[in-house]
Amino acid sequence: MTLTAFRPPGNLEEMSPESRETWDARIREFFDVSAQTFPSFYNPVGVGGEQMSHRVTWPAAPGRLLSTRMIPEQRWAAADADRNEQDEYCEWSVLRDDSGKIRRVTFTSEVSDYYDHLFDTDQDLLLHLYAKLSGQVVPIEALRDQHGIFVRDNVFNASTDGPIVHLSQRSNNLRAAITLAAEATVLREINGELLTHPQTLVRCGNLGDERRHSDPQIGAAVNGLVAGGSDVSLADPPGLYLDSLVAAGLETLDGTDPHDFWHVERGDSDHAVRASFEVPEELGYSVGDITIGGRTMDFGAQLAERVHVRIGALSRPSTTDSVEPRPCVS
Amino acid sequence: MALQPINDPTCRAFERIDGSVGNALLRFVVGEDPAPRPMTSDEMRQELGDPFAALVLASGTSPTTADELLAAIDRATADDDSLRTERSFLVGEDSQLGIQSGEIESTNRSVRFLVARGSANHGPELIISASHPSGGLVEVMAWDTTNLGFNFYRTLRGGRGWVWAGNSRHAFGRPTRGKGPFESHPSGNLIMKELKFPWVHWDSFKVRISEQVFPEGDLRRQHRWFLEKSGAEICETAVVMPSIVRWTKVRFDQAASGVTALDPFLLVEHIVGCQTVNLASSSTESKAVTLGARVDLPPGFFTDVEGMAAVGLPGPPLFFIRPDMYLASLETFGFHLTDGEFSQAGDTHFAFVVPERAFEDNEVLRQALARGVVSPRLAATLLMVDFANPVFSSKRERLLQLVPRDPVAGVADISERIANSIVNASGAAPANSPERDFARRWDLGEDAWRDAFAAELTAYYGAIETQLGSQEGVDDYVRLAESRRNRVRDMPIFEFRLLFPETNLDRENVVMTSAGTVVESTP
Repeated sequence: MTLTAFRPPGNLEEMSPESRETWDARIREFFDVSAQTFPSFYNPVGVGGEQMSHRVTWPAAPGRLLSTRMIPEQRWAAADADRNEQDEYCEWSVLRDDSGKIRRVTFTSEVSDYYDHLFDTDQDLLLHLYAKLSGQVVPIEALRDQHGIFVRDNVFNASTDGPIVHLSQRSNNLRAAITLAAEATVLREINGELLTHPQTLVRCGNLGDERRHSDPQIGAAVNGLVAGGSDVSLADPPGLYLDSLVAAGLETLDGTDPHDFWHVERGDSDHAVRASFEVPEELGYSVGDITIGGRTMDFGAQLAERVHVRIGALSRPSTTDSVEPRPCVS
Repeated sequence: MALQPINDPTCRAFERIDGSVGNALLRFVVGEDPAPRPMTSDEMRQELGDPFAALVLASGTSPTTADELLAAIDRATADDDSLRTERSFLVGEDSQLGIQSGEIESTNRSVRFLVARGSANHGPELIISASHPSGGLVEVMAWDTTNLGFNFYRTLRGGRGWVWAGNSRHAFGRPTRGKGPFESHPSGNLIMKELKFPWVHWDSFKVRISEQVFPEGDLRRQHRWFLEKSGAEICETAVVMPSIVRWTKVRFDQAASGVTALDPFLLVEHIVGCQTVNLASSSTESKAVTLGARVDLPPGFFTDVEGMAAVGLPGPPLFFIRPDMYLASLETFGFHLTDGEFSQAGDTHFAFVVPERAFEDNEVLRQALARGVVSPRLAATLLMVDFANPVFSSKRERLLQLVPRDPVAGVADISERIANSIVNASGAAPANSPERDFARRWDLGEDAWRDAFAAELTAYYGAIETQLGSQEGVDDYVRLAESRRNRVRDMPIFEFRLLFPETNLDRENVVMTSAGTVVESTP
């Protein structure tokens, strides 16, 4: 079926028809700008014919911190303590009880582009969502800077142990993901050898940070599709999604399946953009009593290592005669 | 039916079993059984309490392939049975090589699947290793809910039958220790050598294994094990670690409840010995180094990071080798990858693969500390002897001979007993002996050991940083890495040449000093 307009992330139905229309226009522009520069990247709106979708996934816990090889407890503490460290298109906030034990971990992969769009087109809905997700009354002044521009890491969305509304880290936005996918369509070579390895591609093509999980995975997946004779785009609705929670290895006090504690709060069943992990009060224990691999769950990042984030890639048979590899970006 | 005795204590003994015995399940626990023999129904009921035995073998079914085995499990279980939950993983030492150039024939590849069944949170109930779903050797580890521990099975070569090679508990029985499957599973645990990020040689989100590792038209390209495979990051956290934690917990629980006695020797062996290792690597792709990437070094190369953390001692900072120095070292030492026919210059996909302390050893230490069987002071003092050599330390291992072997009832603190035994022996030991080193450290006392050890480690880490500033220092660490890899080459876990790069270095036995320098090992 031919795509006629981009849907909102998570297939969320809350936008007015006018906002939806302008959202579609906004995202089309992202795709069109990239498609003009990169011939193997295309805007899927209006495209018919055979297209295949591909799921590209990676863990939510920051790869950069994993690469520092700190011992796990140090790494988890560092990730929990700073939303700027949470740069895998997923951020989380940890709510603890008075004794410091974890009660709930809330994950979001909602792109700030969506809220930025509401700021421009429907501030009533924006404030409604902020109030609902942060549990506080939010004045519009708190969400804009002195120049009247929407602030993604505003005081109601910067916490690591309180309210969390949407992604706030600088690199965690939809435009960046679209640009990365487009740039990754360029095949790269060194001395006649086509590059295929993820980190090497990132370094050669200047595709972000090779130590992150997301950039090399998106880059290598897209590049591999182009090398295999495809043009590439991103699947509708364009967004970053909470793909799954790997619960094996988590032991609960009463044997309850840990999946029962995972609640998708926003997005449809295949496009979750917000989810929380919390033990129902009636069970008499909390998240901090659950063990992972024999260790108690003292950090949200322990769970983040088991949450996978996803972007949907789309491919069609290449429309260009040949795609010549290029040397590395200098 | 009488089968010939087999006088071979290694896991190769199973390849010598006559495979034409029909559908029988043989019992051959090397060290206990002089020859393989068919198990009776009573024996099976008594000794085998796992789902493979109960649902498949006990019904007289004798699958010849992994696919048949899993189909038999599916026939015997309801749709919602947790044994229907499957995860598959893929590993191959040559899986990242020669795909584009076609230099390695697909048929030569060492690629194999690990398939886990069961969704229990403490790890899977059934773990299968096979290179092909429809043929070849099939190895099974199945959790025994009656007798506890894993039961080890494998198919007979060329036949329809199976052999039961023992249970995890046989890893510690005197006649069976280190024999048969317990040669490579010394504690009766599941083994995943490359357990941690970035899981060199495994399919993971860090690097995918292409379908091109299988020949054109090979059914594995379209098999669910390949199409629906999970990454090594899932294998680590959902399969291997929980399984090791599970068996370790049983060992301590059984000691606590009096089912077995706690053997201090077997416990301390996990702290000072090196029965097995994990393989760690840089998180940097070796090819990315040619584009200017620095090579981060696995911290476990320098000291027992997790052991030190468990007793509150500082781990090393992240060390790097400059790209030009790393490349010069590869050139100097002629690094290449080869399986004997194929050869490619350079290092493994992820650079600098080296052995480090095994997770199963650290898990025993962690549980021993948590249960108060050993004190942090004793563990730290043992770990600090020859701390610059976290694996293959003959000095630390020598202390094992001084550990009392008298079994201990329950899980009482055995720290003083062990420490006193070593301290008492130190009087007659040479001045630079590990016994003296231990005694000197133990004498620091409860109040002073932590600061003193931390200062020593911090000075050591500073010295390493200095060494890494020169090509000579880098070359020395590359030699040390190769020396340790050579030790692994002598272990049963070394099955494929492409596990490691090869070099032009003569085989040497070098060790790290506490000053961060590399020297010839002295007896």
